[in-house]
Amino acid sequence: MEIPLTPTSSSNRRAGNSAGQPGNLSQERSRWGLLFVSPFFLLFAIFGLFPLLFSMVLSFSDWNGRGTINIIGLNNIDLLIHDPIFWQSMLNGLWIFVVYTPIQIMLSLGLAVVLNSKRVRGFRLFRTIIFMPYITNMVAAGFVFQLLMNTRSGLFNQILGVFSIQGVPWLDTPFMARISLVILVLWAWIGYHMIIMLAGLQTIPQDLNEAATVDGATALQVFFRITIPLMRPVILFSLVLSTIGSFNLFTELVSLFPGTAGSGPLNSTLTPGLYIFNQGFGNFRFGYASAVAYMYFIIVFVIVLIERRFLGRDNT
Amino acid sequence: MSKYLKIGLIVIVVLLLGSVAYAQDTLSGTITLWGWSYDSMSETGLIDAFEAEHPNVNVEIVVYPAGDTYQNLQLACSAGQGAPDVVQIENSNLAGFVALDGCLTDITDHVQPMLADFNAYKWSDAELDGRYYAVPWDSGPVVFYYRQDIFAQAGLPTDSASVSELVSTWDNYLTVCTTIMQTTGHTCFANSTATNNGRLFEIALWQQGLGYYDENGAVTVDSAENVATLEKLGEFWAAGVTSEAQPWTDSWYAELGGTGPDSTATLVEASWMGVFLKTWIAADIPGSWGVAYMPAFAEGQVRAANDGGSTLSIPAESDNKDAALAFIDFMLAQPQNQITQFAFNDFLPALETTYTDPIFSQPDAFFGDQTPRLIYLDVARQIPAANIYGRYYSLMNGHVATAIQQYSTGALSAQDALTQAADAIRTETELQ
Amino acid sequence: MTRRFTIRRVVEDSLLHLILILLALFMILPFIWMVSTSLKPISEVFQSPPQILSPNASFDAYVTLFTEKSFARNMVNTFVVAGGATALRLFFCALGGYGFAKYNFRGKNGLFGLVLATLVIPFGIMLIPLYYIMLQLQWIDSFLPLIIPGAANAFGIFFMRQYISTVPDELLDASRIDGASEFAIFWRVILPVVSPGLVSLGLIFFMGSWNDYLFPLIILKSPENFTLPLTIRSLIAGGLGRPVYNLQMAGSVISIIPLLIIFLVFQRRFIDGITAGAIKS
Repeated sequence: MEIPLTPTSSSNRRAGNSAGQPGNLSQERSRWGLLFVSPFFLLFAIFGLFPLLFSMVLSFSDWNGRGTINIIGLNNIDLLIHDPIFWQSMLNGLWIFVVYTPIQIMLSLGLAVVLNSKRVRGFRLFRTIIFMPYITNMVAAGFVFQLLMNTRSGLFNQILGVFSIQGVPWLDTPFMARISLVILVLWAWIGYHMIIMLAGLQTIPQDLNEAATVDGATALQVFFRITIPLMRPVILFSLVLSTIGSFNLFTELVSLFPGTAGSGPLNSTLTPGLYIFNQGFGNFRFGYASAVAYMYFIIVFVIVLIERRFLGRDNT
Repeated sequence: MSKYLKIGLIVIVVLLLGSVAYAQDTLSGTITLWGWSYDSMSETGLIDAFEAEHPNVNVEIVVYPAGDTYQNLQLACSAGQGAPDVVQIENSNLAGFVALDGCLTDITDHVQPMLADFNAYKWSDAELDGRYYAVPWDSGPVVFYYRQDIFAQAGLPTDSASVSELVSTWDNYLTVCTTIMQTTGHTCFANSTATNNGRLFEIALWQQGLGYYDENGAVTVDSAENVATLEKLGEFWAAGVTSEAQPWTDSWYAELGGTGPDSTATLVEASWMGVFLKTWIAADIPGSWGVAYMPAFAEGQVRAANDGGSTLSIPAESDNKDAALAFIDFMLAQPQNQITQFAFNDFLPALETTYTDPIFSQPDAFFGDQTPRLIYLDVARQIPAANIYGRYYSLMNGHVATAIQQYSTGALSAQDALTQAADAIRTETELQ
Repeated sequence: MTRRFTIRRVVEDSLLHLILILLALFMILPFIWMVSTSLKPISEVFQSPPQILSPNASFDAYVTLFTEKSFARNMVNTFVVAGGATALRLFFCALGGYGFAKYNFRGKNGLFGLVLATLVIPFGIMLIPLYYIMLQLQWIDSFLPLIIPGAANAFGIFFMRQYISTVPDELLDASRIDGASEFAIFWRVILPVVSPGLVSLGLIFFMGSWNDYLFPLIILKSPENFTLPLTIRSLIAGGLGRPVYNLQMAGSVISIIPLLIIFLVFQRRFIDGITAGAIKS
């Protein structure tokens, strides 16, 4: 079968339209779709839905983890709207999202493309090394980054000193702390996203690229005109994950900023994910923690929906 | 005697004998322990000794770091199942769990007779409405660690008594710090600004008997005395004698354990810090550190505070409370067993009846043959009651740390920063 | 035809390699420190300036792990858990992702929105109700909670949906015309075509499950049942519970080695064995 050179839209045709199938066959077929997703949702209903509903009820209570759950109405919502630290955490998440996400996507996509071609010698070795941070213990990683980012004797500042840049306070000021966190998160997650992009690249037929090159396209043109459009679903996926991840960072924070239990200088690196956990398990305020979680969820979910609108096609 | 009477007598005697034997040791089953400090019992043979004394009891230790211990205890108490028989809880977190109705066991009747045997201040977090829920394990008397080599370099005396005299108040401490900075260029102690965790501030409050709340539970975070205390710390920042190293980070270890220009001259911290210096932080520089009394906040005041310390408690869900209680008794209330643990890890027992033991007067080669243990127990006896820990400690410490960060970086005045923290605390806890 | 040996190309290639080498060094630096620390005695771990190879380097930490802690057993546990979780997740997510990508049914968008939603919810607030459910099922201290519930993995189904949506519909229609049943299409057509995605996802699932500690922490109660991350976390010194760094690093190094091997093996297979363009019939 011939594959057309222009990317086909892989949008689902309206049920009943493809090749003129009769309506009842497509109805039956749609039942199959439901059947296929049902095992997933069965498990989800048991293990996902109950906790979600329970938390939703909790968010209207002042439960401390034990005893009766007293419903206090919208009190928590009022509290959190006026909670400067919650909004600080949302701001932190947003900051990280805006800075980290574009770099991560470009880097992981670029690396995937470069390491997919045979142009680089030892490309498998590079892939493995780039993936290694994902499987490295975050406690170890955090500590090593502290070593690297030590203002006085850290390796980063020693290297920068060669270029006459002195004493960068990597972990000591709010602005630099966020930058350092972004560096740590990039280090930890580039390999993961690169793998995802690599898998996506496999769906692009090799002949497409070859044909384009035959027609005189440069590598960059192939990248921008063929690769990226075809990779849109996968890029969207990576984008959504990075968005959610930015707001949910937890282990990375605690390992880089142990002195402040992850909050960083002047609460500059506190994320909603960490804040929610602390309110629950640190301060015994499970009701409030749940309310914060749902407010945070609404905000981030809206962002994700916007991303889908812009980057997804009608079905993705 | 009739046949039936004989049989009856034999049965009665057998039953009596059996019940006597049974009463000898009714303790049986397995007790599960959660926590992180049990190596002072497992590595010293104390667990074996306990099991020997109670042959039907089996001890199982599950090691969790503190945060995980509290998380899992919380889960078990919330869900009503899954708690261990004995759990280690630091004083800083104890009141929170005591306030969790029905989470921990009321052991008042058991501990009443021994209340006076322990450091008095250790009981306040374990108690609620006159009932007691935990037994103190170790204390954290705060002392003054100083680098003898740096002091010598600065032309200052290096023996413990003279140094104690030298830093008798925080003002004198500041003078010493300035001298050291001017003559040697070394920083005096680590007290980071933007990443401050509030612990030093709490120590300074504790020695004055101040705190975050008063006896009625009203929030006193922004009281005049607290503001004054923070401003006293501020003088050190203003004088530029502190370093930015954060505790438990690489740069902090480098400062404490090295001899380069980075190293810092002093450390105001609890006695448990001594063993960390000795075993790994400063293990390469024995004889460099010394121990003295921490400064008083003002002339004539108390030179003692607390930082840290743990307790052992029995969750209410435990189905083997008798064995658990026997275990806690054995390990924490027997002076000889507390001493055995102390010999292993240098953590000062909260059991004051141990303080007459000769082990405390042993010179410590690491500290240049000084006798720091005598200082530890002297300080421990004097630690005042202070309302720092308590039911809402984690919440309060979080806000206060932020306030200190804002003050030390110049964003807010001490009064404004603490007032902001106090108001946030009042809103979140619904205290006054 | 492309000219292969222009100067420009040589310069481009060298630059590329240089950047990659620098990047690789940055990625691997912490790992080097981990190995170096694992060979040090505890008193040297925080020496300043840090040494890469200590004169007192030894394998003591590794020996301790296997003789004094139940490390070997914990490693087997982790294999079982990660393997089971990965297999189950791949199946459920591939099937479900296919359903979302290639079929239309009522409530599809709503259901998928629900899936997306659960990705956003932070795990912290799910802990108590999840723990409660596991108690009721009497699954505490068993591996079942680590394998079964996770099969409904929102991230996995999202990924497979995106991935499968790039498969041309013509392929499916052709098979339908040939008379294949819907499930056969899934099994015989979709799965082979998306196998690079499956392998990638499988790798991520396996590694994620292997290194997970938040959930095993609340489920597994007996040290013999612990998975590796829990065991490593328990390597703490008494008192303040500070990590015993050389032991923890040794544990982490051992923990990484199986993952590295798996990655190397599958890398060869999924990138090189199934070259793109196999969408030919």
